[in-house]
Amino acid sequence: MRIDWLFGVAYIVGFGAFLIAAVSLVRRGERRLDPGTGPTRTPSAAQSGDDDATSAYLDRVTAELRLPAVDVAEVRAELADHLQDSIASLEAEGLDRERATREALARLGSADELGRHLRQAHQSTRRLLAGVGGGVFAAGGGFVLGYLGGILLALLLAMVVFVITSVLARLGVPLPDLNDNGDTLNSVLLGISVAAAAALATRYAVRTSAGLSRRAPRSIAIFWAAAGAVGFGWYSIFGMRGAQSWPGVLVDLCIPVGVIAAAFVRIERPMPHVGRWAVAIVLISVVGVSLLGFAFSEASVSGGTSPTLVESGQPNQPVDMHFDTVAPLAPVGWLPGGNQFYGGGTGPDWDGTQITAVVDPNAAVPMSTAMANWHDVRFEAWHGFLDNPSVSYGIDPHYSSPFAVQPAAVHDTSIDAVFHFERMRSAGSWWVILTAVGPDGHRYRLGDVGGGMSHFNGSAWDWLTAPL
Amino acid sequence: MPGRIRGQLLKGTTTLLVLTVLRDGELYGYEIAQRIRERSGGAFFPSEGSLYPALHALEADGALEASWQESDRGPRRRYYKITKSGLGMLAEHAQEWAAFSLGMGHAVGGTER
Repeated sequence: MRIDWLFGVAYIVGFGAFLIAAVSLVRRGERRLDPGTGPTRTPSAAQSGDDDATSAYLDRVTAELRLPAVDVAEVRAELADHLQDSIASLEAEGLDRERATREALARLGSADELGRHLRQAHQSTRRLLAGVGGGVFAAGGGFVLGYLGGILLALLLAMVVFVITSVLARLGVPLPDLNDNGDTLNSVLLGISVAAAAALATRYAVRTSAGLSRRAPRSIAIFWAAAGAVGFGWYSIFGMRGAQSWPGVLVDLCIPVGVIAAAFVRIERPMPHVGRWAVAIVLISVVGVSLLGFAFSEASVSGGTSPTLVESGQPNQPVDMHFDTVAPLAPVGWLPGGNQFYGGGTGPDWDGTQITAVVDPNAAVPMSTAMANWHDVRFEAWHGFLDNPSVSYGIDPHYSSPFAVQPAAVHDTSIDAVFHFERMRSAGSWWVILTAVGPDGHRYRLGDVGGGMSHFNGSAWDWLTAPL
Repeated sequence: MPGRIRGQLLKGTTTLLVLTVLRDGELYGYEIAQRIRERSGGAFFPSEGSLYPALHALEADGALEASWQESDRGPRRRYYKITKSGLGMLAEHAQEWAAFSLGMGHAVGGTER
């Protein structure tokens, strides 16, 4: 227990130190991107007294620099200062203003060459490596902060949507039915959180790399945008698993786009410092979460496959479970005594839902012998009839065919198959029936194994490629 | 000394000259150029176009520190100050230059060593 406590403290302190270091690194890098907030207040071009000729020369020099804004401003101010002194000195030697300006500019040499040499002086390999390393570190911090911010943002959006839909519902406006036991909400929340995390991570990486390596953010952004789009894009489409829905998949697909936008949009300007707004947002979020929790307290919000088998013969089952929709029951006597199916079971979520029809282990003959005259033994999954949001009660008679079929493996005391309901977009409530073709060539129902409720559990790619 | 030959000789010595004049105190860019000319009696006058890249490279290497300071006339100026690392670099460069100039003296003067 003591070790757990120490581990917890070390975890919080270590994680906090990481975040503080990452944010400090970002701020340090950013100071070189914004002339207005840097450590040195630099004079503007106007203050430096540029005239047309010197301005044109300085424009050409700075066009070659491709440095962060603060460095460009410093170089320009320094050269303007130099030219001012040089011109004054030449005028004192008797040259008129125009000739003095020409001579002073000539002494500085080619503007393009000077700009290139200055850029090379700033952009050393050591600084580039520092920029790359700092960018990676800052991206880690940005991802964590972005994820936390994304959760708050997603909850705020959910709150707004909830309020709007409540008002519309009260006004009698027809709304789409999104009662999918929280799958839409969960997938959208996760997508928005990761999108915000990926965007902030990329932005932090660009700005920190640019500041530390003394390169213009736009020249750095293309590399981080490519890396972020590929990395986060792969993760959002193939790696991020969980509850899914069409809105959630749409958000997932937007993640690489958001990364590219975050790398380029307004990247030359300083990032907004949230300050007291952060406190206000947190307070609003807490209130919002409380309201949402109250509003959805009756709803089931869960992901993954959670089959709830309801065996035949339960006292609360309806009289007509519409099993005849599947096939007529096999005539009595076509199966030896003791070989009646009476139950089912499920396997672990990651291995699909294992459906097993079990018979009496003390039956007179093994199942393989009893089924000798039957062929094409299979389990059929039918959409279930929902009388209650969490429990399936028989087959929905609105459907005329199963939504999934699996050939059955016949063992001595059981028959089984695996269904991947967690990979089927519209599985939802289901009921599984065992059928086979009898000696007369007609398909019969051998028994109902049970029903349950499944949630899609996979990546955006799984969702897009899943069978209906 | 013809300008072309002087330019070739000066190539690579800007760092040494800059560090040398900054050993005596903080200076800004134009002042550095003037100070080099004064100290050499006008013999050395680094190309102004090469002075600023050299100053910025030395700053990036940690040999110099730069800061914007108020000036008595006009806008703020960027002053350079030599650092501890810069003093070490100066000693190293001065030693190399002494060995080089001695060797050149012997070679040009034809003195046997």
